[in-house]
Amino acid sequence: MERSSFVSEIPIYEIPGGIHPEEHKTRSNQADIRRLSLAEELVINLKGQAGNRSLPIVQVGDKVLKGQVIAECDGIFSAYQHAPTSGEVIAIENRTIAHPSGLDDLCIVLKADGKDEWCELSPVTNIEDMDREAVLTQIFEKGVVGLGGASFPSHIKLKQHEGIHTLIINAAECEPYITCDDKLLQEHAKDVLLGAEIISKLYHNIDIIIGIEDNKPQAIDAIQQAREELELNNIKLGVVPTKYPSGGEKQLIQLLTGKEVPHGKLPADLGLVMHNVGTCYAIQQALTKGKPLVERLVTLTGDNCKKPGNYWVPFGTPVKHLVQATDSETPKRLIMGGPMMGYQLPSADVGIVKATNCIIMSADGELGMDQTALPCIRCGACMDACPASLLPQQLFWHAQADEFDKAEEYDLFDCIECGACAYVCPSHIPLVQHYRYAKSTIRNNRVEKIKAEKARERFEARQERLERVKREKAERHRKAAEARKKAAEEAGKKDAKKAAVQAALARVKAKKEAQQSDESQSKESQSDQSQADDNNSEGNN
Amino acid sequence: MALLSSPFAKKTNSVTQMMLWVIGATVPGLLVMIYFFGFGVLVNLLIACTTAIITEALVLKLRQRPIAPILWDGSALVTAWLLALALPPLLPWWMTVLGTSFAIIFAKHVYGGLGNNIFNPAMVGYVLLLISFPLEMTTWLPPQSLADNPVGPVEAVSIIFTGAASNEATIDMLKQGVDGYTMATPLDHIKTELAQGYRIPEAETAPIIKGLSGVGWQWVNLAFLAGGLVLMARKVIGWQIPIAVLLGMGLISLPLFFANSDYYLFPMFHGFAGATMLGAFFIATDPVTASTTPKGRWIFGLGIGAITVLIRTFGGYPDAIAFAVLLMNMAVPMIDYYTKPRTYGHAAKKRKADGGAQ
Repeated sequence: MERSSFVSEIPIYEIPGGIHPEEHKTRSNQADIRRLSLAEELVINLKGQAGNRSLPIVQVGDKVLKGQVIAECDGIFSAYQHAPTSGEVIAIENRTIAHPSGLDDLCIVLKADGKDEWCELSPVTNIEDMDREAVLTQIFEKGVVGLGGASFPSHIKLKQHEGIHTLIINAAECEPYITCDDKLLQEHAKDVLLGAEIISKLYHNIDIIIGIEDNKPQAIDAIQQAREELELNNIKLGVVPTKYPSGGEKQLIQLLTGKEVPHGKLPADLGLVMHNVGTCYAIQQALTKGKPLVERLVTLTGDNCKKPGNYWVPFGTPVKHLVQATDSETPKRLIMGGPMMGYQLPSADVGIVKATNCIIMSADGELGMDQTALPCIRCGACMDACPASLLPQQLFWHAQADEFDKAEEYDLFDCIECGACAYVCPSHIPLVQHYRYAKSTIRNNRVEKIKAEKARERFEARQERLERVKREKAERHRKAAEARKKAAEEAGKKDAKKAAVQAALARVKAKKEAQQSDESQSKESQSDQSQADDNNSEGNN
Repeated sequence: MALLSSPFAKKTNSVTQMMLWVIGATVPGLLVMIYFFGFGVLVNLLIACTTAIITEALVLKLRQRPIAPILWDGSALVTAWLLALALPPLLPWWMTVLGTSFAIIFAKHVYGGLGNNIFNPAMVGYVLLLISFPLEMTTWLPPQSLADNPVGPVEAVSIIFTGAASNEATIDMLKQGVDGYTMATPLDHIKTELAQGYRIPEAETAPIIKGLSGVGWQWVNLAFLAGGLVLMARKVIGWQIPIAVLLGMGLISLPLFFANSDYYLFPMFHGFAGATMLGAFFIATDPVTASTTPKGRWIFGLGIGAITVLIRTFGGYPDAIAFAVLLMNMAVPMIDYYTKPRTYGHAAKKRKADGGAQ
């Protein structure tokens, strides 16, 4: 593919590893951006962004206009969703969503009325005068999320502003097949740059670096031209050599600054914030035109796609419709995203989401990954390809043996799942799948452990409480017993006195009786009797 | 249709391809060996390969593993091939069979098959033969340009399978060089001469010593070097281990040579004698048993080079690539553990001495 001869305006650093897969980009970046016919039914996935599900605010039967809010942010970590076209809400139900799991989730099904009629838009005319909060609110209310692939709600990412000194615009687009960022820049460079300027203003006009691979000469030209026409002089072009995965956030930062995002930290900790080209465009549209995010540029490509190119696709458009509208043959496999990090769609009925940058309608044998895996021969090709400097062969070894602690020791969680290792593996081992398995098992184990820990704490607390209750009960009983004993003793003391008195009385009585009844009784026997009585009274004491 | 997980793009490479490249790259060396040492080399190769494939298939069947895909990965063939290239040209056939089958069964499958073995199977087979049959294993033919009676294909087959040559020539006659002495390899020759009180400049006057190392052997090594460079260029093997092996040899042999050139060989001689190039490019680079970390590859290679020169110089064997490789194989798990590269975003780690235990 053609390479740009443009010399980067900033020094470019090296990243370890990386691969050079076939690019397949010329297929989709030749034609101009187009539109397809509107689908009859749009299936809008409420979990179409990173974070939580949006909360629907429409009901079945409601008529909505294009751009009208149909689902709200849940208030914590979510995003607004807007009607991608005008029409009627015909269902709010579980449908298969665009997710590798192939599971169902809550979707709003909108029947298009074909008029595609906008609601009233509220463009902002005075961005210069708006304060930070107002701009963020506008971005938030227009449902803007990161369009690079993660769909992270933009207002959350933009919130932190302490110590940010550089904005990096990610235009690397290193995945094969995908050309939507490339085309967006070619045709809308000005709007993208203006969007970047809006973000830059949020941080008091910080510097902007556009990171782009050298396989996009036309986009690079377009940026230069737009920059000149708009007289923007805080924007620098960082042209990086084409190598997958240069567009990974961490990798692009390393390429452009030579710095690594420390483990467990964010780019913001280096004073950097990164946004995708598409996001910049969406922010510009949200502010200057008041347009909410209701569509995006999607690359439709693959051997079975008969009209490959880039199209503005309203969210919720079923992939099936895209296949039909481009007169394509039934694809062998439908991949959402690129061939390296995308996922196979469970069904052609799923709707496009904000993260959908590409649909590959592949032909039989176009994307091979179904060879039988052979044993790992420890050739280390994966290690040489790993951009995170991991030892994929060790990670695989431990993941396969369920030795998760060892896998973690080899920094499993620093794996960005770029797939470079599996791409180069001569044994055709689906390495990334093993890492995902290990990661999710470890995560589940952690959750289980926390649960178990809590259960243990609860159990121990209960045991202790029971113990305490028992102890207290015993104590009470002991005290009661003591009290009884005391009472009994006191009662006993009284008895003794009584007894003594009675004994004395008895003795007196006996003497009297003795004197009265038998005066002839011997003196010895009398003294014995009195002695016995004395003993008795002593015994009572 | 089963859902696959990313990546969907795949480089068109395979283990079989790698193995075939390795075999292909030995062809120049093989041809040179046949030229100098006769057809026995080829016969050995055929015996070893047949043995390896039959043994591998039988063991896989015993282990109830799929036979076809693993048999065709080519790894057993490479083991046999490399072992055969290290054997003297007229070795009795059953020794080759013994060595090869031992390598496949005990060095490979007992550990769990391809990818799980600690020791280089070819070298395990070689060492088994070397310590069991030291005489046969160190009896090399004189290079044919020096020999009175060059060995043809018929003689080679006859001697290997029956112990007797087809015509009136006996093995002893075949083994005699022009000067009437039994011919050993250049390294063997130097060792014997030194033991008899001669000095290296005197030992080097023998007709077998010539050029970089010795007649024939220098060309064998050059041919393996050429094949090895092709593998490097094709990225079938990394460049680090071969370079490290040669560097390790130089690091030990150069100071020794400068200290006393009467007793210690010139580094270049080490480099082009014996199995050096075959070892550095084809044997030490066996992916399964070599170190796989960036730093580990260097340590592994340097260790092999250094140990080879040390054993050649001070040990009881004229050549030592096999021992050096096996000794370093043993150290690989430890080397790998302590040379873990620094992961992106992590500070350089200091490993605890007891790190392996946790």
